[in-house]
Amino acid sequence: MAALQEKKTCSQRMEEFRHYCWNPDTGQLLGRTLSKWVWISLYYVAFYVVMSGLFALAIYTLMCTIDPYTPDYQDQLKSPGVTLRPDVYGERGLEIFYNVSDKTSWKDLTQTLHTFLSGYTPAAQEENINCSFEQYFIQKEFRAPNHTKFSCKFTADMLQNCSGLTDPNFGFEEGKPCFIIKMNRIVNFLPSNNNTAPRVDCTFLEENHKDFTPLEVDYYPSNGTFSLHYFPYYGKKAQPHYSNPLVAAKFLNIPKNKEVIIVCKIIAENVSFDNPHDPYEGKVEFKLKIQK
Amino acid sequence: MGKKKSEVYSVEVNGIKDIETTNEGDGKEKYRGLKDHLGHKKDHQKELKKELDLDDHKLNAKELEDKYGTNIIRGLTSTKAAEILARDGPNALSPPKETSEIIKFLKQMVGGFSILLWAGAVLCWIAFGIQFAKDKSASMDNVYLGFVLALVVIFTGIFAYYQEAKSTNIIASFSKMIPRQALVIRDGEKKEIPAGQLVVGDIVEIKGGDQIPADIRILASHGCKVDNSSLTGESEAQSRSCDFTHENPLETKNIGFYSTTCLEGTATGMVINTGDRTIIGRIASLASGVGNEKTPIAIEIEHFVHIVAGVAVSIGVIFFIIAVSMKYPVLESIIFLIGIIVANVPEGLLAAVTVSLSLTAKRMAKKNCLVKNLEAVETLGSTSIICSDKTGTLTQNRMTVAHLWFDNQIYQADTSEDQEAQIFDQSSATWASLSKIVTLCNRAEFRPGQETVPIMKKIVVGDASETALLKFSEVIMGDIMETRKRNRKVAEIPFNSTNKFQLSIHETDDPNDKRFLLVMKGAPERILEKCSTIMINGQEQPLNESSAEAFQTAYMELGGLGERVLGFCHLYLPEDEFPDTYPFDVETMNFPTSDLCFVGLLSLIDPPRSTVPDAVTKCRSAGIKVIMVTGDHPITAKAIAKSVGIISANSETVEDIAKRLNVPVEQVNKRDAKAAVVNGMELKEMSQEQLDEVLINHTEIVFARTSPQQKLIIVEGCQRQDAVVAVTGDGVNDSPALKKADIGIAMGIAGSDAAKNAADMVLLDDNFASIVTGVEEGRLIFDNLKKTIAFTLTKNIAELCPFLIFIIAGIPLPIGTITILFIDLGTDIIPSIALAYEKAESDIMNRKPRHKKKDRLVNQQLALYSYLHIGILQSLGAFLAYFTVYTEQGFRPTRLIFLRSEWEDGNINDLEDSYGQEWTRYQRKYLEWIGYTSFFVAIMVQQIADLIIRKTRRNSIFQQGLFRNKVIWIGIASQIIIALILSYGFGSITAMNFTTLRVQYWFVAIPYAIVIWLYDEFRKLLIRRYPGSWWDKNMYY
Repeated sequence: MAALQEKKTCSQRMEEFRHYCWNPDTGQLLGRTLSKWVWISLYYVAFYVVMSGLFALAIYTLMCTIDPYTPDYQDQLKSPGVTLRPDVYGERGLEIFYNVSDKTSWKDLTQTLHTFLSGYTPAAQEENINCSFEQYFIQKEFRAPNHTKFSCKFTADMLQNCSGLTDPNFGFEEGKPCFIIKMNRIVNFLPSNNNTAPRVDCTFLEENHKDFTPLEVDYYPSNGTFSLHYFPYYGKKAQPHYSNPLVAAKFLNIPKNKEVIIVCKIIAENVSFDNPHDPYEGKVEFKLKIQK
Repeated sequence: MGKKKSEVYSVEVNGIKDIETTNEGDGKEKYRGLKDHLGHKKDHQKELKKELDLDDHKLNAKELEDKYGTNIIRGLTSTKAAEILARDGPNALSPPKETSEIIKFLKQMVGGFSILLWAGAVLCWIAFGIQFAKDKSASMDNVYLGFVLALVVIFTGIFAYYQEAKSTNIIASFSKMIPRQALVIRDGEKKEIPAGQLVVGDIVEIKGGDQIPADIRILASHGCKVDNSSLTGESEAQSRSCDFTHENPLETKNIGFYSTTCLEGTATGMVINTGDRTIIGRIASLASGVGNEKTPIAIEIEHFVHIVAGVAVSIGVIFFIIAVSMKYPVLESIIFLIGIIVANVPEGLLAAVTVSLSLTAKRMAKKNCLVKNLEAVETLGSTSIICSDKTGTLTQNRMTVAHLWFDNQIYQADTSEDQEAQIFDQSSATWASLSKIVTLCNRAEFRPGQETVPIMKKIVVGDASETALLKFSEVIMGDIMETRKRNRKVAEIPFNSTNKFQLSIHETDDPNDKRFLLVMKGAPERILEKCSTIMINGQEQPLNESSAEAFQTAYMELGGLGERVLGFCHLYLPEDEFPDTYPFDVETMNFPTSDLCFVGLLSLIDPPRSTVPDAVTKCRSAGIKVIMVTGDHPITAKAIAKSVGIISANSETVEDIAKRLNVPVEQVNKRDAKAAVVNGMELKEMSQEQLDEVLINHTEIVFARTSPQQKLIIVEGCQRQDAVVAVTGDGVNDSPALKKADIGIAMGIAGSDAAKNAADMVLLDDNFASIVTGVEEGRLIFDNLKKTIAFTLTKNIAELCPFLIFIIAGIPLPIGTITILFIDLGTDIIPSIALAYEKAESDIMNRKPRHKKKDRLVNQQLALYSYLHIGILQSLGAFLAYFTVYTEQGFRPTRLIFLRSEWEDGNINDLEDSYGQEWTRYQRKYLEWIGYTSFFVAIMVQQIADLIIRKTRRNSIFQQGLFRNKVIWIGIASQIIIALILSYGFGSITAMNFTTLRVQYWFVAIPYAIVIWLYDEFRKLLIRRYPGSWWDKNMYY
């Protein structure tokens, strides 16, 4: 088997390449004459225009099949996620460390809470209605202005001691910090099938806490429940001013100079907090260390 | 002269002296071709020269006994033989030096795309290293990906290595199939041992038909003749005796060479060299030094790898720069780079190509072409010139009676391979007499114990012509041995070159006829001299001038057909002069040998194989030039060339034209002659330019009276015309030509081991027609590899676009690197192999062989059409699936744009979608995997369409038939099943990034699959409608 090897020197290759780039004999530029380039470009332009049109048509058809109010599927949203404020992430999840005597160490934390609660001022909630009934706020029709549905008011003052109104430091200064628990919105989600409101329950994560003294928590609103009248959520288009209900938890007996892990679960029939693949589903875990 | 020759001999082997020296004598010329190629191996040669100082032929028996410590009568002792065997090693040619297995393996590990993938793997680990240094909790994904990439390289490397080893083993097992035996005298006893066990000093006996098992010094000989053609290319039998006749060991009569054959007689000899130290061994090992270079398909694949790697690296680098300038962190940009490389490299393709080639190799082996080097499969397909041997390849390699002349008439005999009866007119009484002579004046005999074997296949003891006559008469008259018994032989003079006749005297089988019958055959002119009468229609008539002229005409005519003509005559001896008891004496010839009665002529030829003319026609329509290269006489060569169509019926040589026009040869315009018969002597005189001229100007060429070394010159000449040259050969001296050729084809039956070693392919049945079927397979695989590559390249765009859009438009990643690997090495593997089973679209034997520099495997059209047409369509289809999933799950396309940084931020666990719903990072991750899976499924679905369109390049799919290639459907089934398993079976294994998918998402891309199919049908329609048009030029790959 032999001799098909094309041994060329570098200069030969360069010469060949130059010849390819511009061939003066045939007027070929990169292997094609100018008019051929025009033709082929025209073809490609036409081809891609048609293809883009086809794709646009396909996407348009897709959008036509979509309900603007509710998503078709909620395969990944069987149970809502839970988030915490203030949220400072360390190497492994939420880590809130601060020093009581060092104001700068918690100033940012309280600032986060203030910013977060700015969406819950009476002014921000003006468009929403006052609700006092403790059951699902089912709305079949679009009764609200602009063909929308009503949303219930949730104002910061409902968080009482943790509202930042009475104590702008949210208890951080005295080592009894407030944390705000928020449940993620899911369209048409009902926390339970009966009329039990979902409740927040915060505890120490036992395994890491040998001399076990139960965590003492003050919940705001009292009982740590999310009122049923905030559910169900009808989506951004139906409820443009909807704001998530919140629960604040004020931890009263955090041991000082010691890292503890706290887990806040949502107790409700349709909320699961034991999905091994998603630690943020139905619960939120965080490390807390308060130094003195 | 003798001295000169011996000098020449050493010149040949060490190849230092000039070519002029070699022109002086006959024996030297044989080595001329070898010389150029051996010249550069100088250090090797000094050693060789020393070894070649062979003087055993000069020694007498006693000296030999002393030298080798043996005994001529009793042979070696077994213990001594074992000692020597341990010292010298077995008597076998060591196969040419192989590259060590580890090197071969490592080559597979770094060849092709492997380098790119290694780079990808290393980048992965570097990326992880940087991540880890920054943040101890860095995810291990990159480490896994690096390992997966490394595994892919190692796995495909092992696979390719295994495939290559397997094909090497086929040939190894083949050559071991027939262990040769040798009859040796040891411990004073005759023993049959495998020839490999022979050692120097052994006394061996050989007889007619044996292959000489080692270099031997003849000690005793009885009419021993050998065929040295495999060594010297001279096909004439040479006698061997114990006399020292020549200084040059190659010329002296008392040396028999390893691997030459003993034709007749018996001899006893002492082994003087074994294995690689034999003359043949040395030539063979030198011949293997002729470079082993890249096959055309290897060049094509390299070209393709360059294209793909070029695209991968340039797109990778461009987007790396874009990513960096878009303010992505360098680390992330590196990860993008890896993704781009992985998407661009068709990881499974080289394995698929290997499998396709080995499938074809298997198919060819079934058709008697055994391919040693997988890549040679395709080389055969691109062959544009075949230099073929005559004997055995084009012809049946046995003399056969072709014509008869008696009663002033020429009769034609059947020369086919499996004749059972002859149909010419056998009613004449002259034929009765002729047949008797043919039967009786013949020393050849069937070897006993072959009653059940068909006549033509029976083994005969005797020379070629006598064998032919024996079989001929056996076919017509049945049981010849019985006839001979009834006509007892009383005296005999065997053929010899001075008499040029053979004579025997028999009793007749007619009990009433007490006369003796004298029968004679020989060279026609000699026979005619001895005759005074001629038999016409059973009547003896005086031989007058007109009958003598009729004889001359017939003799010339048959001779002109290149046939060997024999004359037959007889005489009934008068009873009164030669009674029953008459003592016939062959020495004094006390019986008449003149005034005989001439009966007829028979002419013999080695007839062409019946399949060859067809095969030659096929070659011609396939644009392959067939050149005959033979050691035979030009007339015979030309006759055979004409009868098989190498010289077609209506074409003339320069000589023919000269004869027709009645002008001297010099006046004929050489360009008018299509055909040419070139004599070896003329070839020797020719300059390179003259040879080139012959090769260019004549389409039908026969080289006659050539030595095997001139074959090399012819091959080089052809290669100068940019042809891909296939060469057939069987002798050891053919091996340089076999090596030099683009594809060397050795004969499986007649071929020597050296030739088989040097060749790329072994023809198991020695039949030229098998080469043509091989060519067909080779062309088919080239076409099918194009289809395979086009199929594989297409989806690379669909794998690449996600990364590009991801970087530029900041959407969540549509498909992961691991998922891409599952396409490349999972769903796409079997379909791409299935394309190798595709039937030819049209008669591939009706087009010209591909031009090795212009018709590339992967040309611009193929790349552009795959990448920019079908590839883009596929990407659009896959993106449609992607957007469908995200939209239906809550993220509309408008929301996805530039969402990437938030989407991938693990600290955001309440990311809002288009409906105001909030997603945790893990919920998003699972959605991303649904996206991967749906993108994967969309590519898979469209690859089914791609597979179906790739079945043809020009014909409509309906012309080709959807169901003719069943393997395609296995391929499609495999795609679907693998995808189902990945999605539903492994959906829960998070490391694989697959999830179960809603049923409807499997069908999203189907409209696009249909568009792909329609578009390709449209393309093919226009190509068929408007051949040569702009469309054809740009869209046909």
